[in-house]
Amino acid sequence: MTMRHSSRAKIGPPKTLPLTENPLARRYLLVALQIGITVALLAAWEIGARTGLVNRFLFASPSMVWDVLVKRSVSGELFEDIWTTSAETLTGYAVGAIGGSAIGLGLWYSRFLSDLSAPFIAAIGSIPVLAIAPMTIIWFGTGMMAKVMIVAFSCVVVSLTTSYKGAMRTDGDLINLMRSFGASRSAIFFKLVVPASMPWVISGLKLNVGFALVGAIVGEYISSQAGVGHMILLGSSNFSMNIVLAGVAVVMVMMLVFNFLVGLIEKSILSWERK
Amino acid sequence: MPHALEAMSITKSYMTSDGPMTVLRNMSFHAAKDEFVAFVGPSGCGKSTLFNIITGLLGPDAGSIVVDGRETTGMVSAKIGYVLQKDLLFPWRTVVDNIILGLEVKGASKREARAKASRLLHDYKMSGYENKLPGELSGGMRQRVALMRTMITDPQIIMIDESYKALDYPLKIELEGELLDHVKGSGKTVIFITHDIEEAVTLADRVYVMKAHPGEIVEEIRIDLGTESHSIPERRMSPRFNEYYDRIWQRIGAPRTVNA
Repeated sequence: MTMRHSSRAKIGPPKTLPLTENPLARRYLLVALQIGITVALLAAWEIGARTGLVNRFLFASPSMVWDVLVKRSVSGELFEDIWTTSAETLTGYAVGAIGGSAIGLGLWYSRFLSDLSAPFIAAIGSIPVLAIAPMTIIWFGTGMMAKVMIVAFSCVVVSLTTSYKGAMRTDGDLINLMRSFGASRSAIFFKLVVPASMPWVISGLKLNVGFALVGAIVGEYISSQAGVGHMILLGSSNFSMNIVLAGVAVVMVMMLVFNFLVGLIEKSILSWERK
Repeated sequence: MPHALEAMSITKSYMTSDGPMTVLRNMSFHAAKDEFVAFVGPSGCGKSTLFNIITGLLGPDAGSIVVDGRETTGMVSAKIGYVLQKDLLFPWRTVVDNIILGLEVKGASKREARAKASRLLHDYKMSGYENKLPGELSGGMRQRVALMRTMITDPQIIMIDESYKALDYPLKIELEGELLDHVKGSGKTVIFITHDIEEAVTLADRVYVMKAHPGEIVEEIRIDLGTESHSIPERRMSPRFNEYYDRIWQRIGAPRTVNA
C-alpha cells in the first residue's frame, strides 16, 4: 500500500508542455523558423553580393534575379516560356502517365500478356530519358511534339508498373465475391479492380509530376525556341546567372503548382481512403 | 422434392512439397429448405476448402454438388450467397451501393435496387446510414451490411464462414439473434462453417462434426433445443444445450486436451 502511495505521489500534476511538444505551437514555430531561415539566407546572399564577398558574376544576387523576373513579366516573355513548358509537360503527362496507368491496369486482364511484356517494359524503363532525347528531336522536330514525346516517355513506365502492381494486388476474396454474384471479367475489372487500384495509380501520378517537368526541360535543353528550359539554357550560354537562377526559381514554383494540382485530384478520387 | 443442397463423396487434395495431401475425404451431406446446418471441426479440417467447393469457387477432385436438383459442381451458382468473417465491403462505395452490388452486377436498375436496399436498412435498424462509407461504421454494422448485401440477391442458400469470430461477445450474440429473426422461417437454407461449438449448437438444426487431416465427417447430430425462441441466451439456457455441447466437444475437443 505505502509503495503504491509513494509511486502515485511522484507522478504529480501535469506540467505545461514545452513549446516543441504542443502541436499547434510547434507548427507555428516551425513555419516561423523556415521563413526566417529563407529570409536570412536571401539577405546574406544580397548583402554578400553588394559588398563583394559573393562573386556577382558567378552567383548573381536576389535583387538581380528579381529584376529579371519583373522585366520578363512586363514584356510577357516569362509567361510565354512558362506557358510553353507547362503545355509540353501537361500534354506529355496526360499521354504518358494516364496512358501508362490505363495500360498497366489493362494488363490485369491477361496474365499471359503481362508476363510476356514484363522484360520489354523493364528494358524501356531502364533507358534514361536523356539518352533518347536527341533522337526524339530528330524524329519529331524541334517543336512541341518532340517535348511531349520526351515527357510521355519519362512518365509512361512508372505509371504502367505502379498501376499494374495495384491491379494485381486486388484482394482475391473480393474477386471471388464478384464471381459469386456471377460478374463478368469486365464487371470485375471496372467495378472492383480499377477503383481498388486507385491509390496505386495516384501514387504513380504523383511520382511522375517530377519526371514530367524534368523531361520537358531536358527536351528544351537539346533544342527549343521557347520554354523555361530554353530561358535557362540561353542565360547560361551568355553567362547571365541572374537569368539562369530566375529560370530555376520559376521551375520550382511550377513544380509546386503541379504537385498541388495532383494533390487536388488525389483528394477528390481517394476521399474514401481517409474515412 | 430435392434437397436444397446435396453433396456426394466430395474429395479434394492439394499438391504440397511432400506430395499430395488430402484435405477433404469422401464427404457426403445435405441440407433441406429452411434448415440451418453447421459444420464444426478443429483447425485443419478443411473448412475453407469445403466452403469454396460448396460455393463453386473451387472444383473437387471427385464428387458432386447439387443445388436444388441441378448439378453445380465447380460452378458459381446464383442460388448460393455467402458472408465471411472479412466483411469484404468495397471501401469506396457507400453502404447502399455496397448492398446493391450483387443486383447491380446482375444488371438490375440501380434506382430500384437502392429502394430495395433502403427497405432492408430499415428492417435491420440501420436507416440513416445509406450514404456512409464502410470506414465510418463499427464492426457489427459492417457485418450487418455484408449480410444485407447477400440477402438482397435472395439466395436460396446462405453460407456463413466464421463471420462473427472477430466481434465481441455481446455483439456476436446480438447478430446471431438477428440472423434467426431475419432468416429463420424464410424458407432459406443456412450453412455455417465454424469451429465455434456454441454457435453451432445454438443456431443449427443439424451439426456435422468433422475431424482434421484429412477433413471427414465423423458424426451427424440433430439438434433439438426444445425451444422456438430466437433469443440466443434463452436457447443456451436449454437443458439440452450442454448435452449437445459435450457430445461435440468429446468428438473434436477431447483428443486435443490429451495432446496438450
